[in-house]
Amino acid sequence: MPTATAPAITYKIPRRRHPVLQFMVQQPLGAAGLAFIVLMAVCALFAPWVAPYDPLDVDYSSMLAAPSADHWLGTDSFGRDVLSRIIFGARTALAVGFLASFTGSTIGAVTGVVSAYFGGKIDLVIQRIMDVLLSFPIIVLAITVVAVLGKNIILGVDVNLVVAIGLPMIPKVARVVRSSALAIRELPYIDAARTAGYSDTRIIFRHMVPNVVAPYLIMITAFVAQAILAEASLSFLGLGVTEPTASWGLMLSGAAADFYQQAPWMIVFPGIAISLAVFAFNLFGDSLRDWLDPKIKL
Amino acid sequence: MLRYIIHRLLLMLPTLFGVAVLVFFLLRLAPGDPLAMMFEGANVSKEVIEGERARLGLDQPMIVQFGKWLVGIMHGDFGVSLWTGRPVLYEIGIRLQLSLQVAIMATILAVLIAVPLGTLSAIFKDSWIDHLVRIISIAGLAVPSFWLGMIIILLLLTYFSWIPPLTFTPFFEDPWKNMSQLIWPALAVGYRYSAVAMRMMRSSVLEVLQEDYVRTARAKGVYERLVVSRHAMRNALLPVVTVVGLEFAFLIGGLVVTEQVFNLNGIGKLFVQAVARGDYTMIQGLVLLVAVFFVMINFAIDMLYALLDPRIRYR
Repeated sequence: MPTATAPAITYKIPRRRHPVLQFMVQQPLGAAGLAFIVLMAVCALFAPWVAPYDPLDVDYSSMLAAPSADHWLGTDSFGRDVLSRIIFGARTALAVGFLASFTGSTIGAVTGVVSAYFGGKIDLVIQRIMDVLLSFPIIVLAITVVAVLGKNIILGVDVNLVVAIGLPMIPKVARVVRSSALAIRELPYIDAARTAGYSDTRIIFRHMVPNVVAPYLIMITAFVAQAILAEASLSFLGLGVTEPTASWGLMLSGAAADFYQQAPWMIVFPGIAISLAVFAFNLFGDSLRDWLDPKIKL
Repeated sequence: MLRYIIHRLLLMLPTLFGVAVLVFFLLRLAPGDPLAMMFEGANVSKEVIEGERARLGLDQPMIVQFGKWLVGIMHGDFGVSLWTGRPVLYEIGIRLQLSLQVAIMATILAVLIAVPLGTLSAIFKDSWIDHLVRIISIAGLAVPSFWLGMIIILLLLTYFSWIPPLTFTPFFEDPWKNMSQLIWPALAVGYRYSAVAMRMMRSSVLEVLQEDYVRTARAKGVYERLVVSRHAMRNALLPVVTVVGLEFAFLIGGLVVTEQVFNLNGIGKLFVQAVARGDYTMIQGLVLLVAVFFVMINFAIDMLYALLDPRIRYR
């Protein structure tokens, strides 16, 4: 008697996509923003190879030249190639943007967690200090800090400019992170950690900080956009990056305004660069928020 | 309610004191000597510089200077500008009208643009109107206001041969001339402002349209137009008010830069000049005033909340 063959049972193991791939599928707009950010970062990193000219190359024979095959985006009042200066300007914008946002958000996140963990008097004092910092508009605080600190260039980045732009972010991040951390503090595993006799430092950095990573990441991306805007504004006012370094804000200041009609490309293109960069980070930041934690309010 | 108001007002004092301490001591701990900047390049003897320092009171210990400054503020005296020699309040006062007018015009513009567009975007969700409005608002968040100002000037220059006038015409002298001069900077800073409010208005209306009372209104046969204008929009305005208030800070920041572009001699320009010249007393005065302004705005928003939403009661 032939034995009945058992029907083949196939178990369908749910496929888990790589989180990056998952993000790209669920948030196509955010992925587009990310793609543009990566493109920008690559251009900035390899600027000397990507840019057609040296951004500092003064060429008096082709001052204020209109966009052409030689100079795609024209030249400025010193005959410097606008496209090359925009590509090198991406270095300044991204370096200052990332560093300011990273330091500001990190210090803010740690402050927020510490404030929430200890509570009581420490919380009260920290919150009052944050209130003081919050009572300035970002750019006003940044300008004041620039006025106080002056310039301090390390490895081609003005550290004080980074501080000036990063400082106003601290209280904003601290506020958001504190409210997440307050909820975490009440969870049983924190009690368990405390019962086990772990030190406050260990509980804060090993048990609490890793759990506020979502708001932290969201705020970092959101603030890179603001930092790029702040850098452009400060450089435009002559308080940020100074000549001859290429910076988008700086390209719009000074001589550019004298040549509104003769050389509109000096004004139009750097502004588009700023807008696109900020746009890309906003797009990516928004999608990241929707994906990680839609409840967070910035 | 009154108790709450008094409590809130008293809480402002430590914050403002903190601002005063911070800006005062930071400026003085900083490298750089304002007197050296004042006499830069001038051939003056050390005695003259030291004499000037004594006259401005900058030779005294810091804590004494701070005490004198604070006592002065209590009497409504913010000191004398190190650069022009005129009282700080006078210098601010003559420029305040201009900056305030641009700020208010920008706010009105922003609300006028944001509320109808945000509502339309929510009603026609996922249609081309919605997409268009969202593109407008996303762009508004990315475009720097000072660059938008430059583009506006560029366009006006090319098509109407308009250049920003060198002098400011006060509103009561010639309202038309005044408005035609200030509408452009107001538009430049107001665009970003309206973008933020537009996003808020859209999501707020979308949320309210899900409420039971909207369904009730529809069920009893109220015209859709009335449902939106009477029931949805009015209730959706609350979060927008917060955003409009909070973004006022951005407006001040935007003004600092945009005033340069339009050659407006307002508070922002004064601030940037004071920073460039190391004018301590002017920076202190301006920063403190901005902080006062800012804290008051936050307070006003909370009060407005209670007015707009009868459910909110402060104790």
